Amino acid sequence: MSSAQSTQTESAPGGRRLWRRRTVATPLSWRAFRRSWQAYALLSPIFALLIVFVYYPPILGLIRAFFRWRPGVPATFVGLDNFITYFTYAETPHELVNIVKLLIFGLFAGIVMPFIMAELIFFVRSAALKELYRLLVIIPMLVPGIVTVLLWQKLYDPYLGPINDMLRAMGLEHLALNWLGEHRIAIYAIMFVGFPWVWGVGTLIYLGGLGQISESVYEAAALDGCTGVGRVMRIDIPLVLGQVRLLAILAIINAITAFQNILVLTDGGPGFSTMVPGLTMFHSAFRAQKFGYSSAIGLLLFIIAMSGTLIINRGIRPTNEELRQ
Amino acid sequence: MTTELQRSPNRRPLQMSQLGLHLLIAFLLLLSLVPTVIMINLSFKNGLQYRWERWNLSLPLRGSNYLSAWDVIDAYMINTVLVAVVGLAGVLILSLIGGYVFARMRFPLREPLYYAIIALLMVPWVLSFIPAYMLYNNLGLLNTRWALIIPNVAGGPIFGIFLMRAFITGIPEELYESARCDGAGAWSLIWRITFPLSLPGLATLSVLNFVAEWNSFLWPLVTISDMSKQVISVGLFRLSRTTNDLVDFGSGGPLFAGYVLASIPLVILFIVLGKFYVEGLVESGIKM
Repeated sequence: MSSAQSTQTESAPGGRRLWRRRTVATPLSWRAFRRSWQAYALLSPIFALLIVFVYYPPILGLIRAFFRWRPGVPATFVGLDNFITYFTYAETPHELVNIVKLLIFGLFAGIVMPFIMAELIFFVRSAALKELYRLLVIIPMLVPGIVTVLLWQKLYDPYLGPINDMLRAMGLEHLALNWLGEHRIAIYAIMFVGFPWVWGVGTLIYLGGLGQISESVYEAAALDGCTGVGRVMRIDIPLVLGQVRLLAILAIINAITAFQNILVLTDGGPGFSTMVPGLTMFHSAFRAQKFGYSSAIGLLLFIIAMSGTLIINRGIRPTNEELRQ
Repeated sequence: MTTELQRSPNRRPLQMSQLGLHLLIAFLLLLSLVPTVIMINLSFKNGLQYRWERWNLSLPLRGSNYLSAWDVIDAYMINTVLVAVVGLAGVLILSLIGGYVFARMRFPLREPLYYAIIALLMVPWVLSFIPAYMLYNNLGLLNTRWALIIPNVAGGPIFGIFLMRAFITGIPEELYESARCDGAGAWSLIWRITFPLSLPGLATLSVLNFVAEWNSFLWPLVTISDMSKQVISVGLFRLSRTTNDLVDFGSGGPLFAGYVLASIPLVILFIVLGKFYVEGLVESGIKM
């Protein structure tokens, strides 16, 4: 009996000497497939689930973006109608402006703030305090995301919120606005949620990158008088570009596709002032039952997010790999 | 605080700048904790205290708010724990098996199959959200707990296999060779050797997966209409919409107590497994 896990060091039939399969390309022969039945058997439940529940839906979405599609009614092909409808819809330019605003802000909050926090912690000399800070940055993550958003909604409350209470106490009555209820401000109020945006995951990812820079680089830099902010600009930033790229991609995908906070805080209002394409996708499916139209918006968002990812991948090129440990 | 600073000989003692550093870090941490502190403070207030002493600490602390809150959200909490734990068990088993197969077994098409899984990390959820809803609708799974468990069990192993393969590759080959000499098959190599040695990796995966499940909001919002099967995020969202503190100040305290209760499972999780989570992120040097 030859079983797949024993093929790593295995005696081939005919008494030839032991050989390491690891160094040899696995031949694509029927016999090789049959001998590896165990590996395929172990993987089969994983792939069965993936095919039905993970591969199939996005493929279905790609196709149904070109259909009129409602639950319980046979789908009919409508060509590019769904896309034309979206691009001629009066609120679309406004929605796109909103995601550009959210994107610019998201890159700042998702890349710059965690970097500043990580650098501050990295400059701490006491090992014990460093570890303590590393643990403390994840405390905001212990509150469920929805609770954080609902709390911010409370903070913004025009009558009972602490922000306005504080402004009134300082005699700045005229600044006590209805933060989420005014056309011009609402989108910025949504961005401000999570201030000061010292996001635990981002900070820890940067700390991981900074920790991998080899000590000899810092010693050489210190000899040349390159310390403090100069060191951060000339050494740290170029050496954490891999992390910057990862966080930039996450920030782009998040800014373009996420609408959970907006749904909870304003539901696109007041008027259409905080609408984004993702929320329109959500509303057209679950309020208007237009699933084909909704899939088309989903496809557009996918294309925009993918293009952003590719641009970042081209634009940010990590260098100086040899300076890492 | 600054007395325990290490003084390496080639660095001047920059105590003032270290002190400034600590103050700045503490300031940023405090700012990010403001909503949490407000939540805990408000959770102990009754209607009158909520009306007149919202922002300062006011005695007595009304602990009974927590009992009222639990009476309302207990079903949501239990549902979410149930769904998250069942899903997590599936994710851990499939990720361990998948990670083992891709790290330790040699078979034709291994790399193409691996990349066919990893490529799914690049598919953003917007593309599949709407059609997935229709798929679950057609399969008759809407409004059942399966609609919450299956997406996790099917999708969780994508990142899980990526993580566990890297982890299992690091286990010394000698351990496997000696077990094979004793005649161990694939199944016992997975459960007797790989499983106990990859517990830290599984712990990291558990934290990530449980936090994601505990926070899931949009999917249960649309797939579960029966509130008796609903999860905590949606339950709290609905509660926040039905309580109006301008009319009824008595509802404020218990609502915030509910928010605190909803955070407790995550606090317990991080106390038990947080170390693995922090080390997993910091020491892996994750990047692109």
